[in-house]
Amino acid sequence: MNAKFLIGLLLFAAPAFAQTDQQWILQQSTLTYHVSHPLHQSEGVSHEARGKGACHQGQCDFLIAVPVKSFNSGDSNRDLHMLQVVRGAEFPLVTVRTRLPEDAGSSATVLADLEIQFAGQTAQYKQVPLQLAKEGDNFRITGTVPATLSDFKIDPPSLLTLPVKNEIPVRFEMTWRAEK
Amino acid sequence: MIRPNPAVLILCTLFAATFAPFSSAQTNDSAEISTFENADQTETTAQTQTPPSNNSQEPSLEDLGLAPSQTQSDPQLQARLDKRAHMLRIHQKLGLITAIPMIASVATGFGAGGKGTSTSDRWAHLALGSVTGDLYFATAYFAIFAPRIPGTQTRGPIRVHKALAWIHGPGMILTPILGAIAFDQKSKGEKVHGIASAHGAVAIVTAGAFGAALLSVSLKF
Repeated sequence: MNAKFLIGLLLFAAPAFAQTDQQWILQQSTLTYHVSHPLHQSEGVSHEARGKGACHQGQCDFLIAVPVKSFNSGDSNRDLHMLQVVRGAEFPLVTVRTRLPEDAGSSATVLADLEIQFAGQTAQYKQVPLQLAKEGDNFRITGTVPATLSDFKIDPPSLLTLPVKNEIPVRFEMTWRAEK
Repeated sequence: MIRPNPAVLILCTLFAATFAPFSSAQTNDSAEISTFENADQTETTAQTQTPPSNNSQEPSLEDLGLAPSQTQSDPQLQARLDKRAHMLRIHQKLGLITAIPMIASVATGFGAGGKGTSTSDRWAHLALGSVTGDLYFATAYFAIFAPRIPGTQTRGPIRVHKALAWIHGPGMILTPILGAIAFDQKSKGEKVHGIASAHGAVAIVTAGAFGAALLSVSLKF
């Protein structure tokens, strides 16, 4: 009797022991910043973001990091200038932290509070809309961070004595994969 | 009285401890069992969420598998970038300033070599040409001696800007030499002849290449 009970218990308990908090891994990403100048509209793109999400008690904490120097605008001179003005050698990473409810995937849009560390400064962006779409086993998240240079105390770089606009929206497209 | 088996008790405790949070989550809200995988039930309404807070469950930078070279601060490189940017800003400003006497030199050049030109026209052209040359080489200095950043591959319009330097650079050496020969010939009352007769054409090509170099990094083509 006891042996059967034990076997039954083990059969029930095994999946329970295997049950861990869900983790998310950033599979692919495209981050694009946009800079406006009276003579130029330029964009810098990076595909080198790394990210991880850890879910616990119904909440998922996400961390995304991207090397500043990985952004490519198609102009090496501009990229080096960007690296200099944002002090990218001193602060080589842009990090984004956010927390989403574990059931966020049931919505097409989630408003997320983002904490972004960049150029030695930390800025909070409240209620940033993220679009979510399920693609097979993965999740695709897109959105735009309404970043500005002044948020990170960056002096606007200038070309021909004309400074760029303060607004530098960062568009992102990310594909996340669940890991158990 | 039933005497409990210690092994069964331990397993029961473990079982209960493992399933307790799981089952309570289910009872709290049936939606909580739907994770990101249940997104088929899409809603157009926006969700709000609580702000991030620090706790041990959050992923850290170490979890992301970034190479140390990607995460470590490099103040020396930053200093190099700062110096480079500072020198290139001067290069940019001086380049714009240089364009003014250069245009004036080309403009006065059309009247400086003719038969009826006065001495003052030639001297004015000479003065403008000299100022242009001085400013040009000062401009070039700040580009040539700006620190290079190791591992940088030149991409984009800057390639055109640099390539054009191979035209206006030699042109800015040749133009004053030819100009000096032409000036000397004119001062002697001679007609400009020989290699000096190329002064105007070389100057125009040089000014054209300089203008194109300036535009190549200013306008998007």
